[in-house]
Amino acid sequence: MKSVLNLILKLSSIDRRWIFLIIGLSVFLPLFFPLGLPIRATDTTQIVYDAFDSLDPNSKVLLSCEYGPSTKPEIHPMVIAVLHQLFRNNHKVYVSCLWPDGQFMADEALRKVAPLYDKTYGEDYVILGYKPGNEAVIKGMVRDLRAIFSTDVKGKKVEDIPMMNKIFKFEDFDFLFSASAGFPGSIEWMQYATDNTDVKMSTGTTSIMVNDIMPFVVSKQIQGILAGMPGAAEYETLVGEPGIGTSGMDAQSLAHLVIVLFIIFGNIGYFIERNKRKRY
Amino acid sequence: MIFNDIFGAWVAVFFTLAIFSFLYKDNPFYKIAEHAYIGISAGYWLSIGFWTIIQPNLLGRLWPSKEYSEESFWYSIYDFLSSIIPSIFPNGGIDKGHNMDLTYLIPLVLGIMMILSIFKQFNWMARWGIAYTVAIAAGLRAYGYLNSYILGQIKGTIVPLANTEYPIFHISEPSLLNNLLILLGTVTGLLYFFFSREQSGSFGKITRLGIYFLMISFGASFGFAVMGRISLLIGRFVSLIDYSSSQYHHATLWVFFLMIILLIYSAINDRSTSS
Repeated sequence: MKSVLNLILKLSSIDRRWIFLIIGLSVFLPLFFPLGLPIRATDTTQIVYDAFDSLDPNSKVLLSCEYGPSTKPEIHPMVIAVLHQLFRNNHKVYVSCLWPDGQFMADEALRKVAPLYDKTYGEDYVILGYKPGNEAVIKGMVRDLRAIFSTDVKGKKVEDIPMMNKIFKFEDFDFLFSASAGFPGSIEWMQYATDNTDVKMSTGTTSIMVNDIMPFVVSKQIQGILAGMPGAAEYETLVGEPGIGTSGMDAQSLAHLVIVLFIIFGNIGYFIERNKRKRY
Repeated sequence: MIFNDIFGAWVAVFFTLAIFSFLYKDNPFYKIAEHAYIGISAGYWLSIGFWTIIQPNLLGRLWPSKEYSEESFWYSIYDFLSSIIPSIFPNGGIDKGHNMDLTYLIPLVLGIMMILSIFKQFNWMARWGIAYTVAIAAGLRAYGYLNSYILGQIKGTIVPLANTEYPIFHISEPSLLNNLLILLGTVTGLLYFFFSREQSGSFGKITRLGIYFLMISFGASFGFAVMGRISLLIGRFVSLIDYSSSQYHHATLWVFFLMIILLIYSAINDRSTSS
């Protein structure tokens, strides 16, 4: 018993660099040797899937990309999975970005997914691009979209793009999906667009934002949420297109387990040491 | 595989491993990555800001190609600027699909006034631009916050406590117990921030319950933050694994081993000089 206590005491005062190494290995190894842990969609992810699935064919979906390379591992798999579902159901996809990097991310995702479904730029999907101005852009889109987006990302006039025919303001869209990694993002879309119109929205966010968004999901101001990498993995499973989200989940789970173990050992060590100090 | 892709991969691998090397200790690789990151970020945002905001949205509205005329005085200024910096002021006006809107002279002037703050005697001018920006932001956000955060959330908190259609308990769906928890959490959490009365006695017990709800929320936030960081680590590892392939001439392995050798050499050097 004494040797176990001593071991726990030693573990609780271990050099932090060993902890970094162990966490690193617990993330690295499952990427090479997948454990194949099951992935089950949570209710909030299922709501997003059902919301897209209930749209009529040829619905006009606005996909807003508010993320960049730094948050790509979490958000990009969601966008790819959502695009699979949208194109499979023959919806029209309109991409706008409140972050400058968002248009590069959207372009990369569309280049990957659109050819798989023989979708044509300008007829089935369009990238309207990035507009600076944060929430002012959203307000402007609600009032008059064409005053904000006079051209697409390629510099083509919106009136010359076939799928922009009946799009004049935000309310002309049937649904909004905000892939968001911060400000401006999902909360601003809800505040200035969907809360003031009949257009419904769903969101996919970084893990760190989930707690901020969740109250709006519970109050049904937002229809479901894809919460970080697990949300992406769940959505990939629902759509049937496993990607980086799915392959990263084993690493995610193992790393969490290791962190939890360290927290437990750290706390046990703390209490043992405190008791020792009290005794002497 | 073209040269740019391979070079980009080597640069990405170097910077990723240089940043990770800080986990061992502060070292020159980390310093290089840190300084490069700050410099590149500043340059990137300046460039993005100019080419996506100032050039198309401001200059593009002051001198749109739609209304270009060689004879007008206004466009003679443009032609003069075009002869100096043709990349910003292309021949025949700026074609970004906008009509001419001279009210955009106001933000131009306010912007110049903000830049003038770098000169001590014109310091006061920056206040005008800042005052305008703050007022616009406050006006825009006041309505959004009131509507979504206050009214929307109050509506979301008004939940039935005795609806027979709901089950007594469900882990995630609406249920009577979950609704009771929403009510308790909201009321006790709000009462914790009610500072007009001392938090003691029975009132103190209620606010203590509020603290527990807040702590659970902070715990969930911490858990999600950890999850987010691990996700980013997975993203970097996936890239490093990709770049270790022969397509990229084993960039990850080469950079990793070179960095390790140099760090070991520096550690041995440090030890011998300190002894």
